Amino acid sequence: MTAYPVLTAATFLPLLGAALILLFGGDRLARWIALATTLATLAVSAPLYACFDKASSALQFVESRDWIPSLNIAYGMGVDGISLPFIFLASLLSVLCIGASWTAIQTRAGEFYAALLVAETAMIGLFAASNLFLFFVFWELMLVPIFLLIGVWGGPGRVYAAVKFLIFTLSGSVLMLVGAIAIYRTCGTLDFRALALARSSLEPAQQAWLFAAFLAAFAVKVPMFPVHTWLPDAHTEAPTAGSVILAGILLKMGAYGFLRVSIPILPHGVQLFLKPMWIVSAAAIVYGAYVTLAQTDVKRLIAFSSISHMGFVTLGIFTLKRSGVEGAVLQMINHAIVSAALFLCVGMIYERTHTREIKDYGGVARAAPVYSTLLALFCLAAAGTPGLNSFVGEFLIIGGAFETQAWLGAMAVWGVALGTTYIIWLYYRVAMGEMNPGLVGLKLELNAREVATLAPLALLAVSLGLYPEYALSYFRASVGQLLAAGVTP
Amino acid sequence: MSLALLVPELILAGMALALILAARRIQQTPVAVAGTVLAAMAAALASVWVLSGGARAGFEGMIALDGYSQFFKVLISATLALAALLSVRNLDAEHVPRAEYHALLLLASTGMMLAVSSRDLLPLYLGLELMTLCAYILVGIRVERQESNEAAIKYFLLGSFASAVLIYGISLTYAVTGTTDFAGIASALSKHGTGSNLLLLVAIGLVAAGLAFKIAAVPMHAWAPDAYQGASAPVAGFLAAGSKAVGLAALGRVCLAAYGSEARVLSVVLAGLAGLSIVVGSIIALSQTDMKRLLAYSSIAHAGYALLGLIAGTGDGASATMTYAFYYVFMTLGTFGVVAALGERGETLDGYRGLAAQRPGIALLMLLFLMSLTGIPPTAGFAAKFFVILSAVRAGHIALAVLAVACSVVSAFFYMRVAVLMYMNAPREPAPSRFPAAMSAALAVAALVTLIGGISPGSLARWAAPPIP
Repeated sequence: MTAYPVLTAATFLPLLGAALILLFGGDRLARWIALATTLATLAVSAPLYACFDKASSALQFVESRDWIPSLNIAYGMGVDGISLPFIFLASLLSVLCIGASWTAIQTRAGEFYAALLVAETAMIGLFAASNLFLFFVFWELMLVPIFLLIGVWGGPGRVYAAVKFLIFTLSGSVLMLVGAIAIYRTCGTLDFRALALARSSLEPAQQAWLFAAFLAAFAVKVPMFPVHTWLPDAHTEAPTAGSVILAGILLKMGAYGFLRVSIPILPHGVQLFLKPMWIVSAAAIVYGAYVTLAQTDVKRLIAFSSISHMGFVTLGIFTLKRSGVEGAVLQMINHAIVSAALFLCVGMIYERTHTREIKDYGGVARAAPVYSTLLALFCLAAAGTPGLNSFVGEFLIIGGAFETQAWLGAMAVWGVALGTTYIIWLYYRVAMGEMNPGLVGLKLELNAREVATLAPLALLAVSLGLYPEYALSYFRASVGQLLAAGVTP
Repeated sequence: MSLALLVPELILAGMALALILAARRIQQTPVAVAGTVLAAMAAALASVWVLSGGARAGFEGMIALDGYSQFFKVLISATLALAALLSVRNLDAEHVPRAEYHALLLLASTGMMLAVSSRDLLPLYLGLELMTLCAYILVGIRVERQESNEAAIKYFLLGSFASAVLIYGISLTYAVTGTTDFAGIASALSKHGTGSNLLLLVAIGLVAAGLAFKIAAVPMHAWAPDAYQGASAPVAGFLAAGSKAVGLAALGRVCLAAYGSEARVLSVVLAGLAGLSIVVGSIIALSQTDMKRLLAYSSIAHAGYALLGLIAGTGDGASATMTYAFYYVFMTLGTFGVVAALGERGETLDGYRGLAAQRPGIALLMLLFLMSLTGIPPTAGFAAKFFVILSAVRAGHIALAVLAVACSVVSAFFYMRVAVLMYMNAPREPAPSRFPAAMSAALAVAALVTLIGGISPGSLARWAAPPIP
């Protein structure tokens, strides 16, 4: 074991940083405090990866303390192979967000970095929570900082986007609250492990209702078709850091909820809803891809592509096959890396051109070779090119889908084909061809800070593409245990 | 000696009399405020101290000294102290007679304390009337303002009607059972078959309606928006917090101790009140442009949430309601405190435009209180809402629980609209002037309780969940 409670330290260190910024940091000092805090968070969470036992599917680094004794609710933390990668991604992306905001955020920088750090606490805490109550607390805590990030530092339509985001996510999560309370009433506990054992006391009919209640929360966050409409607005209007957090972590929270709550605790509900889940996942993949093709705004295009990519994730999860679920988790990780990187790329060029319209770009490669190379790498990764990270996840999901239903596999393949089309076409219109006259004279090439911001993601994209086993080995045991215990009611 | 049971009440009444006697000499606000806050603290300490001798009853069993009354006496003292501290700025700006203002606050609190410790319908009525009579004057104390006078008259007319309803219910209860003592009523009722006596059902309905007025539950809510709007912000906060806490305390005791055997009827009545309050309060609040009116409708909705706990008719449920009342007092006083601190600018929603850019600290406090009112963790409002919804679900009222959370999304819309104005709009008015340290202290206390209650609901459990009578 480690010398200090790693998960608690990693969760609440950012909150401490936020408090420091609000109390002492002026706008100038804020970014330095924020950078130091996020780096420190990455450092204190290092033992998680070093000491994690990959062979075990049990919760590790478990902490438990009395919290609300009258209700038998504990403050419980712990990670398994499924949650660990996301803690890493949350802490890594937070560092990169600060890199991306270094010069972009000029107004009220102190509050900006404080909100970012509060969001980091919520993200790490959510994946570290070992009971539903704590999970819900972090789930909701995420709401306000993101609401402010979009609404205060976003683009022209920011207020509309922020309020839409808030109302959509809150509508889902309050139903989750009722679901959690109903589970508590029947089972008398909210601890994930205890619930997985006590689930037989939940009647099949009750499980169906509970699944629907949790689905409302998770589907909005993923977002699944047809409750995805908040996402294009939120992604597009958010500042770069907000988009990165939204695409990188927030969307994964919903899918993680399915893996943590729905499948282990509500197997009857899952069985009942299996077909509808397939249908909406397939619809998200194909519909999302077609809508993406039609976009003229770079950020909006990437936002819609997320809907399609997250469709793969839910499809993989609800195949309930080993390769499907492993692929889904891997796809969550890959999508976090790639979409975060793409949003960073868009944000960096936007800082110079102040336009997001695709038609205002063209020939960027001539002026900015390094930028265009990195963009090409991430675009290829998003398209699922073999040798880069997304390929493996999509491949596993498609395998799982064909195992389940041939038509699901066909839809997924169709989605991949469309995905290649829209992303390569985007790259073609932005980077290749004649230089757009509007761009002449702008200094488009990246500076060292920006390259350093993108480099870790590029490294991850390549290394996970060449050796996916490194990521898979972390969650293989956990997924195996999940499916062994969870699929058959 | 029974008088020992009333030490906290006597302290408050004594200070009120002292202030009135010295009224001509008190020209400065700090003296009156200090006196009031000291009296409130002394009353809180005294209520803890007198209970150390064990729970007992006095005055022929009419006044109870138990954990329940002690809990509310401490809560009322806190309400009084915070309201007095928050009034500092208003009193200076509005030419309100200082001594009288504080004496009225003290007397209203005396009435509240009497009401929460009553074990008989008559002293309960007396306490509530003392509170409401003082409240009428407090609402209208800014005599130079027309809207203030109008609010006081409206409040008075509706309030007298509600008092008449309450006393009518009490008299019908007396007619059926031959007593006004809670224990006596309960034992008389246990001899009847439940639900058999129509007169008794009417009596219960009337008493519930009379008490619903105090907590501003629909359909007895019409006074709240006008009264809050016309009153100064600290008085409105005092009413929203104090009147609601006392009304809930009285309802809790009456439901459990007196009419307990009619739990089925009570649960229907209370569920109706709760559901209506939540829906009506949340929806009408959407269209408000005046901050205090908005908070009035929010307080109507919160009355509904608080009632969710009582529906179950169990000790656990009532305890959830009282926890709700406890946290609600602090978050609502905090919100009204921010309104008061901003002066004229705080009265309308438009005044909040760009506040975060001008005064980040106070905007952050407001955001905290708004989050708590919405029920977003990690604030006390979330913990409180969790407890009451849990008890509603336990009682089998799933549909009501879903309705309640659905309305909390609606409420997020208008609470967060204030956040949108504060954070996402450019300021139009000059930054508000700095406010006195007393107000900062009161706001800090309210914020601290709101935060601690959310982060660690267990740590305040001893204070936030009273033993049930």
